[in-house]
Amino acid sequence: MDIKNTLFELSEMSGASGNEASICVKSLDILRKYCCEAKIVNGNVIGRFGEFREDLPSLVLDAHIDQIGMIVTYITDDGFIKVGNLGGIDRRLLPAQPVTVHGRKDIKGVICSVPPHLSDGGNNVPTFDDISIDTGLSRAELENIVSLGDTVTFDVKCRELLNSRVTGGAFDDRSGMTAIMYALELLQNQKTRYNVTVIFSAQEELGERGAKIGAFEINPDIAIAVDVSFAYAQGEDEMKCGYLGKGAMIGVSPSLSREISDSLISTAKKNNIPYQIEVMNGLTSTNADQYSVSRDGSKACTVSIPLRNMHTPVEVIDIKDIEFTGKLLAEFIKEV
Amino acid sequence: MNDLLKELCLINSISGDESAVREVIISKIKDFCKYKVDPLGNLICFCKGRKTSDKKLMICAHMDEVGFIVTGIRPDGTLAFDMVGGVDASVTIGRQVTVGKNHLHGVVGATAVHNLSKEQREKFPEMKSLYIDIGADNSEDAEKYISLGDCIYFDSEFTESGNHIKSKAIDDRAGCAMMIRLIQEQPEYDTYFVFNVQEEIGLRGSRVSAFSVQPDFAIVLEATTASDIDGVSGNKKVCSLGDGAVVSFMDRSTVYDKELYKLAFEIARENNLPCQTKTMIAGGNDAGAIHVSGKGIRTIAVSVPCRYLHSASCVISPEDFENSYVLVRNLAERIHKL
Repeated sequence: MDIKNTLFELSEMSGASGNEASICVKSLDILRKYCCEAKIVNGNVIGRFGEFREDLPSLVLDAHIDQIGMIVTYITDDGFIKVGNLGGIDRRLLPAQPVTVHGRKDIKGVICSVPPHLSDGGNNVPTFDDISIDTGLSRAELENIVSLGDTVTFDVKCRELLNSRVTGGAFDDRSGMTAIMYALELLQNQKTRYNVTVIFSAQEELGERGAKIGAFEINPDIAIAVDVSFAYAQGEDEMKCGYLGKGAMIGVSPSLSREISDSLISTAKKNNIPYQIEVMNGLTSTNADQYSVSRDGSKACTVSIPLRNMHTPVEVIDIKDIEFTGKLLAEFIKEV
Repeated sequence: MNDLLKELCLINSISGDESAVREVIISKIKDFCKYKVDPLGNLICFCKGRKTSDKKLMICAHMDEVGFIVTGIRPDGTLAFDMVGGVDASVTIGRQVTVGKNHLHGVVGATAVHNLSKEQREKFPEMKSLYIDIGADNSEDAEKYISLGDCIYFDSEFTESGNHIKSKAIDDRAGCAMMIRLIQEQPEYDTYFVFNVQEEIGLRGSRVSAFSVQPDFAIVLEATTASDIDGVSGNKKVCSLGDGAVVSFMDRSTVYDKELYKLAFEIARENNLPCQTKTMIAGGNDAGAIHVSGKGIRTIAVSVPCRYLHSASCVISPEDFENSYVLVRNLAERIHKL
């Protein structure tokens, strides 16, 4: 599996929270290479890996399939599209940003930007009330293509930076999905110490909603949320960040299972896989928060890929970190 | 003309570094006129018309686009930069860019929204707080590819969708494209066509080219700010997409020649071309340097209305673009009959 190509292919598809259908179909396609049984269940893509053995505990590898975006709330008489946010959007970088509106067909647009001669000299970031999308189409033309409730995502292509770093618009969390697929590839024809289920869960950005029902459905003993976390960059608090290229960030937190954290750390050490420790002081704001308290509870942990500029069209990761994450997961799951 | 515009817009040439776009323009006009490149890099062309005239006409547009320049390399391998021409931080943060002679990909980073304070979320960052990430491990790694003074360009797709065109650099490759077409179609009268440098940093190229050519009349071809967007009404729109070429009576740099102003609207009326003026005194262009050059030059500007000027996503209407071209072609002819 070519990690970079898979990541780019997944990231250039769109799937804003609540509108993940097309990315679900695509990832189901890829997942079927590794899982004999894979299907879409209530918006989540669920695949069972390998042979089921009664005596093994069950483990879920979760990555969320959705990305942040916007949702169409109104079309003005002049043909501007008004939107609300889906997930945490940085409004500071919206002016003049190119977007794709996912209507009956995809159409391109630009987020309106007030030129300097009209701003009152102030430096205020627009609220969603002020934000609209310019598609060059009239209201009547738009109404044939776009319906209220359709979603909007940033129109951005993935690019290679220097070394093994890359940039794109939906690496949160297509990187996690790619890492899981790479882990499955490494585990092919290997005996595992768990019955492994993969869940690509919907609507994480709206509050881990897909994971909530996915966790109930599968009821695992152990769950690992494979997501992204903050990589250090200028403007960030270095003490709260990992570093690009230095391996998966293994979560340690009161809400996570220390047993699993420790076990992941010793797996990394034993196999010489670079890793970093991400300490949190309570909830993790990842799907792990849902798995840990679903039904009668499960042992949850986070394994995160360090990422810069989270929730922007210019997210940056290091491909090596996906590779390290995939290896760590595979070694953890492999029967020794 | 849209294909020509696309080709020109996708070339990276900021102020002071116009050679790439100039080479392409030369390749398109060299068989149709005489040309020279002056010490600043202005491309000055003389095109024989079907007729001669006692009036000397210059038509011009600028080749440079707004962008950025590398001012420093930080220990972590990121680049400090400053803007070249007027670019807002709000259209810079969170964009892809192209950097330096090797055309590396880079991004203008943004602190994750999760980690911003409530106040920080509501204020645009200052340009000096922004940085470019090219993926370098450290300064040593970055120095292998980047030198101080390297140019930085918006990395933007040219798209034609709906009734609009979107791209970087439409200001003023739109003017350049109209001029190339005028040259290739041979003007009615002898005409000087000047492709200027350094407009965006203070109308500098046009200052010297106007002096060299010393025309009696000048027509400046431009793209100008339209803010006919949602929530803006009345005069604050300045001008509107779809309402034709913009001919203004005054902007921040020029009070335009009254007779030429009237002539432009007269031609528009006679030919059923939509044409509009600006409803605010805003913007400025090479006319500012040209009309006071030497003993004075009678000057008019014809502009394509453009939303989100000076960003990676300039938006124009192809109809306005075509209508502007037709107006300029007619105006160039009629000026000789004044």
